[in-house]
Amino acid sequence: MTGETKRLARAIAGPVAIVAAVLAGGFVLVLIISSDPVTAYRDLLFANFYSRSNFALFVNRTMPLLLIGLGVVFSFRAGVFNVGGEGQLYFGAMAAAAAALALPSAPFPLGALASIGAAIAAGALWGWIPGVLKVRLDVNEVVSTLMLNFIALLTTEYLVTNPLRDQTAYGAVSFVIPRGAWIPEIPGLPGATSGAVVAVLIAPLAWLALFRTEWGANLRAAGSNMRFAEAVGVDAGKQIIIAMLISGGLSGLAGAFYVLGIGHRFEQNFSPAFGLIGLTVALLARLHPIGVLATATFYALVLNGAAYMQIDTDVPRSIVGLLTGFLVLFMTARPRRGLIAV
Amino acid sequence: MSEGSAAPLLQLRGVVKKFDDKVALDRVDLIVERGEVHVICGENGAGKSTLMNILAGILKPDSGEIILDGVPVGFADPLAASRAGIGMVHQHFKLIPSMTVAENLYLNRQPRRWGFLADRDAMRKDAAALIARYHFDLDPDARIARLSVGQRQRVEILKALGFDARILILDEPTAVLTPPEVEELLGVIAGLKARGRTILFITHKLREVKAASDRVTVLRHGRRISTRPTAGLSEAAIARDMVGRDMRPPKRGEALRDQRRGAAVLQVSGLAMTTAAGRRLLDRVDIEIHPGEIVGIAGVDGNGQTELSEAIAGLVPVQAGSIRLAGADMTRASPQRRRALGLSFIPEDRLDRGLSATMTIAENAAASNYRLKRLIGPAGLIRSAARDAFALEKIGQYDIRGAKPALPVGQLSGGNMQKVVIAREMEKEPAALIVAQPTRGLDVGAAEFVHAQILAAADRGCAVLLISSELAEIFALADRIAVMFRGRLLKVLDRAAASEETVGLLMNGAELEAA
Repeated sequence: MTGETKRLARAIAGPVAIVAAVLAGGFVLVLIISSDPVTAYRDLLFANFYSRSNFALFVNRTMPLLLIGLGVVFSFRAGVFNVGGEGQLYFGAMAAAAAALALPSAPFPLGALASIGAAIAAGALWGWIPGVLKVRLDVNEVVSTLMLNFIALLTTEYLVTNPLRDQTAYGAVSFVIPRGAWIPEIPGLPGATSGAVVAVLIAPLAWLALFRTEWGANLRAAGSNMRFAEAVGVDAGKQIIIAMLISGGLSGLAGAFYVLGIGHRFEQNFSPAFGLIGLTVALLARLHPIGVLATATFYALVLNGAAYMQIDTDVPRSIVGLLTGFLVLFMTARPRRGLIAV
Repeated sequence: MSEGSAAPLLQLRGVVKKFDDKVALDRVDLIVERGEVHVICGENGAGKSTLMNILAGILKPDSGEIILDGVPVGFADPLAASRAGIGMVHQHFKLIPSMTVAENLYLNRQPRRWGFLADRDAMRKDAAALIARYHFDLDPDARIARLSVGQRQRVEILKALGFDARILILDEPTAVLTPPEVEELLGVIAGLKARGRTILFITHKLREVKAASDRVTVLRHGRRISTRPTAGLSEAAIARDMVGRDMRPPKRGEALRDQRRGAAVLQVSGLAMTTAAGRRLLDRVDIEIHPGEIVGIAGVDGNGQTELSEAIAGLVPVQAGSIRLAGADMTRASPQRRRALGLSFIPEDRLDRGLSATMTIAENAAASNYRLKRLIGPAGLIRSAARDAFALEKIGQYDIRGAKPALPVGQLSGGNMQKVVIAREMEKEPAALIVAQPTRGLDVGAAEFVHAQILAAADRGCAVLLISSELAEIFALADRIAVMFRGRLLKVLDRAAASEETVGLLMNGAELEAA
């Protein structure tokens, strides 16, 4: 067991050191451009904890990153480079809103559950299409998922600016969904959706499924060496499609939680590229579900922190783009070891 | 060497190299004379490649001296070694497939026009001259991607010679070649020797040691065991030095030999497969294998053996014919179904179909064995302790060196990887076993072990289809021998009736030409 803990410590030490180094380097940068660097950095890192409402916003920001990141883990582990998280998220959100609006008199748990089900199904459908195209027709999934993003974004835009548009509201938003479809807040944390709790619980489940079941082992076998997987009797194509269903379903779920728990309506521009950040989050975590928990939290922390920083000081929030860019660079770069052949 | 004669071309003194706490080379001394072909042999992990990588400037020794022409040298990098006249041809070629032969030969040192433009004409002329000087059959304008493995190797050799290498190091040059290509390579080596080049040749194939070399040095566990002239040295003596004990030729349980018979376990009839372009890969192949019988399929690589093994395993569809396992028709069954009926498959390329290199040893060994070994708990979760214990048991039983359950299997040496595949496939005690090129790239000790496992399976009553391009292996194991040529199965011979000569002729299509 001590060997296990040692390995874990080694696996975590590197990323933590890199994060610390990037934050330290960022501080030097802030020092140069800002008249009040300490306030700026304090805001960046700690403003999320100044008040309950700040913390609630942080929790809400973590939820989609976490779910999409976990979805990406499933697809990438199965060897499918699913970059369609954004489209799956939008389709899920739209399906949740549409289902809720279609069932105006459904009482609380039923309305919410129906909406969640619709969202998962819609997201999964948006994952299934590229999965099947890849397995049956060898269509490159990067192209198909990227293209499906545009279809999802434009389709939902049409729906929210036409049939579902709330004319009384400002901007491209749908009608507010009926109360029966709202999912509750986290008790004691007004504004924070309990969907975030579900997302956090899914992370260890995802780990169990991937690393502690034969199904997960088969999925990773298909992803790491499809020809090997076939040879040991794994239906690799089926594994790929299932992984894409899960991946899309999780992104769809993120959309549902956003609509039912945060916005309470579909908003055309609700996502600041959650799909792309979710991808980054998963890659930074080296496709490990528990790692995604850490990286999604960190991203949400600095993304929201940067907003407070920009309000309080003269440091622009875009510095976060710089910091996260460096983070990705250092986390994904690995020193090339000299050739070791025995 | 007598007093006063010239210093040897290359001399190593007390070379030590450690990786972490593992000693790869332990005070190795070596003398290489001018103009000799010197074979370095030893089992996988004996330190052969480490030694050569030190000579080629890829690795630095922890201590010890390299003396070239009487002068101690130290190479900062491979470029320094090639400037000093040491060229290396790696086992895995370092060529750019999309570029031509000439471009690869002059990569990073192309002749220039006006100091910055590549002078392609001069480059092609120089390349053609270099090829002509060594009488190699190469087109300077051919793209690497279109060349055969043997031709690519010649490009690598030329690349090394192009730097005016006096000492040419060939790392396992025959591992990737077909038998006729090996013959050609040995011819090339003889030609280079005639031109006064000194050649260091790494191999663990005893036949090649005998055929190619003047002297042979054996390494074992990082130590130099012996350096002797090849003339008059027996293969058995070299093998003994390599493994540190006498080799036991594989032997079958003779008592069981007569018991085999009974209904055929594996029946293949009229199997045919064609590419989309209409080329025949399999041409009406018929095989019947009875319990306890080993049928060996000889043949030069690429004559349909891969397709045959994968068709029986259910990995590629066939156009015509049938495959029956224990009497049941399996022609269209999924690989899972075939496995469930007792078929095991040891593929020819362990890193292609045999293993997932990035997954752990425990996971690779457990794949497809989870139910059988009860590695799944009541909640459907893997009992990871049981899985690791299973892996440990196999590591011990198969003597898989350097293995731990949680280690990615790709970090093992080739022979030890192969043992993981065999451990996994044998665990099911299969009724029928397809095994292709089981000892490719394996040293003698590991090969002996693998052969024993195959024979043991047959003794248990397993019907074995053994596909190999090594005639010695076929003759050592098989009860009946067939030869594949251009997708056809020529003649199935009883072992008693077959000689290496007849099979060798058949491998080159002799029967077809006679007919």
